[in-house]
Amino acid sequence: MKQLLQLIILLLSLLLLTSCYDKIELEQQSNVIAIGIDKEDEKGSFSFTFQIANPEAGSTLSTIGSKEEEKETITVPGTDILTATSLANSFVTKRMVLDHTKVVVVSKELAESNDFLRIIQSASRKPEIRGDVQIIVCKEEASQFLRNNQPSMERRPHKYYQFMLQRAIQTGLIPDADFHRFFQITEGDADLFLAIYATTLEENEKEYRITKEHNYIAGQIPKEGGNRTQFIGSAVFKKGKMIDILSGQETRTSNILDKTLHMDNIQVTYSDPIKPDYQVAVDYIQKVNPIIDIQYNKETNHASIDVTVPFEVRIIAIPSMVNYLSNKEHQKKLCNTIEQTNENIANKLIEKSQKIYKSDPFYWSLYIRKKFKDIPSFEKANWDEEIYPNADINVSFQLKRMSFGKMFNDSRLNEVTE
Amino acid sequence: MFRFQSFEKKEENFTKKDTPLSSDTNLLIKQLKEIYDHHINKDFCSRTLFANFNKKNVYLFYYASIVNSDKIEQAIVQPLLENDGSSYSNVLTNESLKEIATIEKAIEHINSGKVVLLSEGDQIAYSIDVSQFQHRAISQSENESVVKGPQDAFTESTHINVSLIRKQIRDKQLITTVSSVGERSKQDVTIVYISDLVNPNILKNVKERIENIDTDNVRNVELLEQYLEERPYSIFPSIYYTERPDNAAAFIEDGHIILLMDSSSACLILPVTFWTFFHSPEDRYSRFMFGNFSRLIRFIAFYITMMISATYVALANFHSQMIPPDLLLAITASRERVPFPLIVEVLIMEVAFELIREAGIRIPSALGPTIGIVGALILGQAAVEANIISPIIVIIAALSGLTSFAISDVSLNYTVRITRFLFIFAAGLMGMLTLMGAFLLWFMYAASLKSFGMRFLSPIAPSFKSPKDTLFRKAVRSEIWRPGQIQPKDLKKK
Repeated sequence: MKQLLQLIILLLSLLLLTSCYDKIELEQQSNVIAIGIDKEDEKGSFSFTFQIANPEAGSTLSTIGSKEEEKETITVPGTDILTATSLANSFVTKRMVLDHTKVVVVSKELAESNDFLRIIQSASRKPEIRGDVQIIVCKEEASQFLRNNQPSMERRPHKYYQFMLQRAIQTGLIPDADFHRFFQITEGDADLFLAIYATTLEENEKEYRITKEHNYIAGQIPKEGGNRTQFIGSAVFKKGKMIDILSGQETRTSNILDKTLHMDNIQVTYSDPIKPDYQVAVDYIQKVNPIIDIQYNKETNHASIDVTVPFEVRIIAIPSMVNYLSNKEHQKKLCNTIEQTNENIANKLIEKSQKIYKSDPFYWSLYIRKKFKDIPSFEKANWDEEIYPNADINVSFQLKRMSFGKMFNDSRLNEVTE
Repeated sequence: MFRFQSFEKKEENFTKKDTPLSSDTNLLIKQLKEIYDHHINKDFCSRTLFANFNKKNVYLFYYASIVNSDKIEQAIVQPLLENDGSSYSNVLTNESLKEIATIEKAIEHINSGKVVLLSEGDQIAYSIDVSQFQHRAISQSENESVVKGPQDAFTESTHINVSLIRKQIRDKQLITTVSSVGERSKQDVTIVYISDLVNPNILKNVKERIENIDTDNVRNVELLEQYLEERPYSIFPSIYYTERPDNAAAFIEDGHIILLMDSSSACLILPVTFWTFFHSPEDRYSRFMFGNFSRLIRFIAFYITMMISATYVALANFHSQMIPPDLLLAITASRERVPFPLIVEVLIMEVAFELIREAGIRIPSALGPTIGIVGALILGQAAVEANIISPIIVIIAALSGLTSFAISDVSLNYTVRITRFLFIFAAGLMGMLTLMGAFLLWFMYAASLKSFGMRFLSPIAPSFKSPKDTLFRKAVRSEIWRPGQIQPKDLKKK
């Protein structure tokens, strides 16, 4: 019994010695949901915008006033994210924690400069910031983006980013661009990284392009109503520096060709092969991954890449009312058109990447790495400047199945209008 | 001074073992009367009769309160007065007639409700069992109630309890032997087992332990349990305590040993494993699917009741990144107006729950409903509205309290409840790291334990041939083996 008592006293003293190391109460911390980073005029100095979630907003507790704002957006200057949080504590009441940060928003200006990599590096050093934080590049200042973004329905910021990005990534209009992938690709030093492109600035009406496909970038969609923030397209990063913007359609194509990215069903339109004035709307279904076959010749340092993309479509709308269901010839034509269109888009993107970017946004270097003895020999062969730009690339889309939904025949237009 | 002297004298008489009965009957009678303080002990009876068959005086000694006086008249007085015969065994035809040669034996027999008969001039006394200890009738099992299964429970009489067991096992090898414990007050411990199943080493061990109990009095099995167990300071029980005869019978059939005592409405089962405490007899009475379903629920409850409060403390205080943002913000909002640290909040509620539980057991049943009102209203709603605790703590405490009731065994229930507090403190120290450390230590301790030579976590670790009746059970008809961990003489069930 005496021994037991001694043991208990010993353990209790341990409690005092450790003093609950690392312990922090929940109400003593503010959760930052979004971080915005902007470049300042002075070299090496930035301004950081933090969007803090207010836990009391929307709370059902009767004693707590729910009139408070859902979020607080503050901007402080600094040299890196973490020191900026302590400066922000001069007017933010609680310790700012970045555990629940969902997005890092970077202005286009900063993304295109050499400073981007420096600032992002320092953010990843601290374990607080999660690897699955999405990187968003915005056209305007990041602070402006975060302030302008005022969703009227998902007013709580973490919910907004969670739902917004989840769905947009599923449709393939924006890439999955988390920290993990950024560092993986940037440090792999071969492929291009695609970040989410977004803006709250709508372009002038003149610049609106009404296209039949989803060939927009953020800010160009001629929409009315809803939140002014648009997430579509992607910012292309080469060696940690932004070099171009891809449209929503190009982003989607790149997602299709990239085996490492998952994509949900997407709805797209193709021009009607029989009546070219109309569009056929289909549900594009990618059930199996594309087959990427790389033949590499060591002597000539030349690669030929064969990409086969098996896919399925479900026809959802035929406004031209052409009978594709029972007419085999029409069906064949439609089939060809769909395959052809996809191949054209893909070929265009590949050509652009070969000629202008000199590297690929599809993470294809994964499939050629194994043909080298070690990493130095792979780096020496120079995928992004030598092999890829000169490679013979052959993309073929193969329509495996076409289904027509639950209706066999469209209404007979003549009879209905009479 | 006088009292002290007389006490010393008695002590002397007791300490001397095996004093043969004196041939001087008058002296003997005087001795006995003195031992029992005849003049003040109103309960103690001595009667003198004149036996018909040998024309001698016969003296009867007994305790009036623990014998059946009708039986004395019929079985002793009447035959002695009327019958003819050559010896006492002919005259007294009662089946329990025994010859006694020492004073100590005579005392023991009187104390256990027998009549001791001295015959003038004889050096041998006789004892006849006419005991009638008062006890309850068989009633329904209240602490281990089942929906499907027999409802009767043990009662405070070994005789009835053995009968309840024998009713279920009609086996010629079902043995009930008796050992006695206690120096001053000798009590009978009835050991029940099937002799061609039980492991003789364990049986020997148990008998030795009972014999080695060195105390004046062991009143019932609840106390016996504490005298028998190997580790009195352990938080794990090592002997199973049940009031259900069907449960006892099931264990006897597997080669376990049952201990019964006269003044307990329950029995002790040994050796046991963790699973013994975890199971409920109804698991076997329900069909395969249903029984296993309730086992699964119980296991989840077991985990939740030990871990939920501690996990909450660890997550909220140290790993807030692991809580989904919606929940995190909700908890934070509710905590903003609470004055205490989170761990104090949790402890307040856990202690409050233990208070309700303890009060609920001790409270007179007429006041029972008060507990509900005080508990639910004051501790739940009012405390939240007064901003003393946050609503989520009420949920956590309610959940951990509710799930603790799924552990039906009284002993294991205490284990779990104490463990819960240990884990909360551990989690408060350094979060998940120390919580997992504490859990590992707890688990290792459980694995290191033995109950009468049997590993506490067997037959899983170490593995044995067994019915595999652990977390889940097999269909009854595909159980082939008896539990191999106790090494019964006959391992195969069919």
